[in-house]
Amino acid sequence: MIRINKLSKSYGSENHGGAQNSRKVEAVKNLTLNIPKGELFCFLGPNGAGKTTTIKMLTGLLRPSSGSILINGIDPEKDHISSKRIIGYIPDMPYLYERLTTTEFFEFTGELYDIHKESIIEKLEESFALFGLLEYKNVLVKDLSHGLRQRLIYSTTFLHDPEILFIDEPLIGLDPYTIRLIKDLLKEKAENGMTIFLTTHILALAEDIAHRIGIIMRGELIETGTLSELYEKHGKNNLEDIFLSLTGK
Amino acid sequence: MSIEKALFKKIKYSFFNLGRILSIQSRLKVFFILCSTIGLIAVMWLMFYSGFRYFDTMSGFGNIIINKLFTFFFLGMGVMLVFSSIITSYSTIFRSEEIPFLLVRPVGYNQITLYKFFESTLLSSWAFVFIILPYVGAYATYNEMSVLFAIWTLIFSIPFLIICSAFGSIFIIIFVRFTPKSKKFFFFLIAVIVCLLIVTFLLNPTSDTDKAMEVFDVSAILPGLNFASNPMLPSFWASEGIMALTHGQIFRGGMFWLLLMLTATSLLVLINDIGGLLFYNTWLLTMEGGQNNKRAPILFKWLDKLLFFLSHDIKAMIKKDVRIFFRDPVQWSQVLIFFGLIGLYFINIRNFHYHSIDAMWRNMIAFLNVFCLSMVLSSLGSRFIYPQLSLEGQGFWVIGLSPTSMKRIVLTKFFSSLFAMIIISVTLILISSFMLNVEKEVLIITVALIVSVSIAICGLSTGLGAIFIDLKQRNPAAIVSGFGGTLNLILSLCFIIVSIVPTGLILHLKTVSKITSQTAENLLMFTGLWLIIIILSSSILPLSVGIKSLNKNKGM
Repeated sequence: MIRINKLSKSYGSENHGGAQNSRKVEAVKNLTLNIPKGELFCFLGPNGAGKTTTIKMLTGLLRPSSGSILINGIDPEKDHISSKRIIGYIPDMPYLYERLTTTEFFEFTGELYDIHKESIIEKLEESFALFGLLEYKNVLVKDLSHGLRQRLIYSTTFLHDPEILFIDEPLIGLDPYTIRLIKDLLKEKAENGMTIFLTTHILALAEDIAHRIGIIMRGELIETGTLSELYEKHGKNNLEDIFLSLTGK
Repeated sequence: MSIEKALFKKIKYSFFNLGRILSIQSRLKVFFILCSTIGLIAVMWLMFYSGFRYFDTMSGFGNIIINKLFTFFFLGMGVMLVFSSIITSYSTIFRSEEIPFLLVRPVGYNQITLYKFFESTLLSSWAFVFIILPYVGAYATYNEMSVLFAIWTLIFSIPFLIICSAFGSIFIIIFVRFTPKSKKFFFFLIAVIVCLLIVTFLLNPTSDTDKAMEVFDVSAILPGLNFASNPMLPSFWASEGIMALTHGQIFRGGMFWLLLMLTATSLLVLINDIGGLLFYNTWLLTMEGGQNNKRAPILFKWLDKLLFFLSHDIKAMIKKDVRIFFRDPVQWSQVLIFFGLIGLYFINIRNFHYHSIDAMWRNMIAFLNVFCLSMVLSSLGSRFIYPQLSLEGQGFWVIGLSPTSMKRIVLTKFFSSLFAMIIISVTLILISSFMLNVEKEVLIITVALIVSVSIAICGLSTGLGAIFIDLKQRNPAAIVSGFGGTLNLILSLCFIIVSIVPTGLILHLKTVSKITSQTAENLLMFTGLWLIIIILSSSILPLSVGIKSLNKNKGM
């Protein structure tokens, strides 16, 4: 499970000359959130609301200005290696090693997590078959299309069976078949106990797969709840209307 | 399997796949690159060998220089490696896109730092191999040494490379971590450097005679020679160790090798510890540095007024290029380091007493300075001017669709880079000539030569950059190391040789009274004509072909 307590992130420094001259930008303000095991949590918000900043703090790519994070009870600040063993992260623009073949990249990722060679080979066949990558086993990453690269990053991220998965904009540039595949897979993983924290702009995705939804606006969490709770609370029956009314657009 | 093994296995795979990538490249291209590399090494070997033979003709004095040159060579290489490591370590350790990938995986900060250090060492030292091969080859041939000499050189070079690279990496990690990020501190640092340069300049004696030169002293000709023999320097351990083993002094050679290995290992341990302690926080600092969106919306607003005489499209392109250049510390810091180093050397010429030596030597040094500056210009031309059209990348459509022509785009790139290059190169050559106290004739010729080299390099780099444009590539290193980039570097080097050597040779022959002043004047007129012909062919030709090529491929 993920426990976030009063998490804040600000850039720049306070100017003592007064608030008007302040160079401090608060990207995330006092975010408190608990995501239990097996929950698929969708984090929604307009551009620049603080979604990516939050996900980067949760994965250790940014240091919070204040507040605390616990990943399955582990404080990543104190024990980053243990927390990284149990998380998986798929950024919106993932970095891949261009000069490796898909097989070599898969094997390399497995070795970083100290997975046995036999197990890597076994999982490679299974995972490549699932993501339709079997015919690309000998292809260099640099020669893959955007969609195939995304499939490869999903395939390698699931290799070490992460207990908690962070995904930033999961469906960018994917074809309808891969979108369906990813959606079904995320639902199945959550059912099997994986905690999933994903950020998206696609409201339909949140409506379709989220157990719970959070809406962030200018760094502040302005709403959380299940889809039915949100419908009931706001008296509307689609997420788009709720989102637009809350974010003031 | 350990993380280290996984990371090095990845490097191994990447290396072998490079062969796979090369195999699908045009054979002509691979053949051309191979031939050019071998040719370049052969030319450098010949130059070094001729140098040794030349010193040999000077009997005792020459022999002293030759014996000391090997030590001096390692010192020079070491200094260059440290600077090269500072530049590459910054981009490899802190700016690499691979870091976030590794940071979200269970890899220790010390492991990431060590792995990136080795990558940076490889990147910063490949040029070392290209220089050491012909130098050591020429030295061994001249001294009729055995093959063992080459083997000892290789064995000593590895810990030596690690030591130099480690100094650079440790410096940059500590510098980035502890240097205040405020603009005030940055300007304070610049002011201190400028003040130091001015003080050095003012302290240099301007009198023509120098006591040191009244007595002929080897150390005054190559002042670094004595410093290079300092027993505290790793470069001294390397050169002395190689020599000792070559001459059969196993214990002495072995001691120097162990000393190098011990130092290299200690530095690796230090990098490991510094990485564990400082890497993560320093990386976060570099990442968060650009997140403050309170910066001025327009950088160098005054550019608008300064460029009032230019038409809207040209002005827009120049402003964009200037802003992008100054917003990227990797770019301007490289230029600053290259020209800063050469400027520092030119300003210190009088500390080396070069201005007091015989006119023949002063002329030779003046031409060597032109040659040296031209080499820097050619590498900067290849690194910055050649890839500038390709680096427009996905944004090229913005310029391509605007109401301007490809001709104007290419010519704007050419003239703006030429303007910047001429200002820097002419200033540096004027400093060199003033410090060397050269004759007016030599001053005019060196300025003319550096202007010619600037025009040719800008023309070649912009023209070939347009011909071999690659809008899909985002990595400047990959653009530069491609076929067009290699061709550009080779043609620039060829231009430098065919433009500087004839003029330098005529002036040298005149100074040593091998030809009369009248003959020299006549020959210089012919050289001037020759220079005009090669400038035109190396600037107008590639530029016009480049423009045609861009017009033809508009739909790319």
